[in-house]
Amino acid sequence: MPRVLLVNDTDKPIAELREALQRAGYEIMADVAHARALLHAVETQRPDVIIIDTESPTRDTLEQLAVMNAAAPRPVVMFSDVADQSIIRAAVRAGVTTYVVDGMAPEKLAPILEVACARFDEEDKLRRRLAEVEQQLADRKDIDRAKGWLMDRHGLSEAEAFELLRSQAMKQGARLGDVARQLLSMSDPPG
Amino acid sequence: MSLPFSSAAHPGGHLVAGSDAPEKRQLRVGFIALTDCAPLVIAVAKGYDRKYGLEIVLQRQPSWAAVRDKLLAGELDASHALYGLGYGIQLGLGGPQHDMAILMSLNQGGQAITLSQALAPQVRDGASLARLVHGSETRYTFAHTFPTGSHAMLLYYWLAAHDIHPLYDVRSVVIPPPQMAEGLRRGDVDGYCVGEPWNALAQSEGKGFTVALTSEVWPNHPEKVLACTRDFADRHPNTARALVMALLEACRYLDVPANREEAASWLALPDYVDAPRDVIASRLLPEKAADGSTPGIRFFGDGEANFPYLSDGMWLIAQYRRWGMLRDEPDYEAVAQGIHRLDLYREAAAQLGVAVPDATRRSSRLIDGKTWDGGDAAAYARSFDIKA
Repeated sequence: MPRVLLVNDTDKPIAELREALQRAGYEIMADVAHARALLHAVETQRPDVIIIDTESPTRDTLEQLAVMNAAAPRPVVMFSDVADQSIIRAAVRAGVTTYVVDGMAPEKLAPILEVACARFDEEDKLRRRLAEVEQQLADRKDIDRAKGWLMDRHGLSEAEAFELLRSQAMKQGARLGDVARQLLSMSDPPG
Repeated sequence: MSLPFSSAAHPGGHLVAGSDAPEKRQLRVGFIALTDCAPLVIAVAKGYDRKYGLEIVLQRQPSWAAVRDKLLAGELDASHALYGLGYGIQLGLGGPQHDMAILMSLNQGGQAITLSQALAPQVRDGASLARLVHGSETRYTFAHTFPTGSHAMLLYYWLAAHDIHPLYDVRSVVIPPPQMAEGLRRGDVDGYCVGEPWNALAQSEGKGFTVALTSEVWPNHPEKVLACTRDFADRHPNTARALVMALLEACRYLDVPANREEAASWLALPDYVDAPRDVIASRLLPEKAADGSTPGIRFFGDGEANFPYLSDGMWLIAQYRRWGMLRDEPDYEAVAQGIHRLDLYREAAAQLGVAVPDATRRSSRLIDGKTWDGGDAAAYARSFDIKA
């Protein structure tokens, strides 16, 4: 069974793959959280597969091993050799990048990637939804403050204040929340 | 057949209204948190993008690998990039091969080599470092930023010029730049080559000292470029030209010392480099050396810093050959011709009145006394005593 190394150095909880992969029978090494530990683990513990957040700053550390394989203690190649393109696309969508150490058969990688994708695809959807909701709440608060300021200082009715913001947003092709924040930053709003 | 506009009505010549409008106006442009991303930050801050009909949305990237992946996936339209990122992708080194385009050079020089403070008692230059390396059992570790990048190639060149083999006498690793200074303190790395402000920062925190500026390895060496895929440049020539114009104007702005003070303040912001303003300014403001030269970063120099000389890219290929990264002998000139978009650059520069050299190669003397002028690159690559 391939030995898997998890690089856990971003907000994406890569380490949470441990249990799922262990259940699937893989040997999971102690996860590493920065470049120094990653280099040490690759040189001394010889993983077959390295799973890392696509957005990890440590990816370039692996790129060096991939290019300098003649001089590197352990040659590493990228996952682009895997035959099944749909799995790769799913991995890219889930934001998971996998580096495969030379010599591992590509078909052995597919199930590992599938576990990772299943874990993070869902995660990503939840996170996007959460970000959307947070944005909507922030927008609503700022729009209310901007309306209040227009009503207080310019004697507009609530409907007139809202209409002014809305038409400004249309004119600028901007979101209502952004126009409200723009107004609040230019004026000296109360509270 | 009658045309809506006769050319006589438009003394500007071929630029009939509409014909040169950008095919794509809103652009996602990547950058890495380094002082030399300044042209992109200034282009947005001063509105040069809008002046040429574009809207640049800057997106900071966590790694050069991420820049590559997003350019290839179309998630980024263009990016601040290492010269060698474009070449590495074009040659398929360590990852998928893809045809790339380099639209312009964004700066020359402005990087440095830093050594750990722990080495300071014994080492003050390359020669004393060589004595330490050769006289000790310890295998010292040197970091850079990306396998095909200029930091790797300039570090290897500097070490080799001092009789230190970068692959056999020391370990060469990549560490994310923001982790480098801390790596010195912990003793994980003994030195590194990187862009600013990560050299100045280590020095200001007492963790390391700058042993050489990269301009000492190669005065006005090629550094960052504006890169995109060849496909993007082919399908959006007007956008690419407008983008070069906006960034050329930003580079020209950065030639004025007072404007670099302003740029340091922009760069310090959390969304850009996120480092102390004065540390950034310490290596961004132009300083004259004793001999009258300005060894620091160069953004414009009447356009000399921006022309993407073919010989600059061919030097990288020669170094890849030298260090065993490229197995087969390439057609140096053809590879460079394929990547550099000299046509687009010349048109953009002409519209701004920026001078463009006639030659596509330039001649430089490097730290080891060798001259590189783009001639017989294969022989040049073989000519080094220290190689893979």
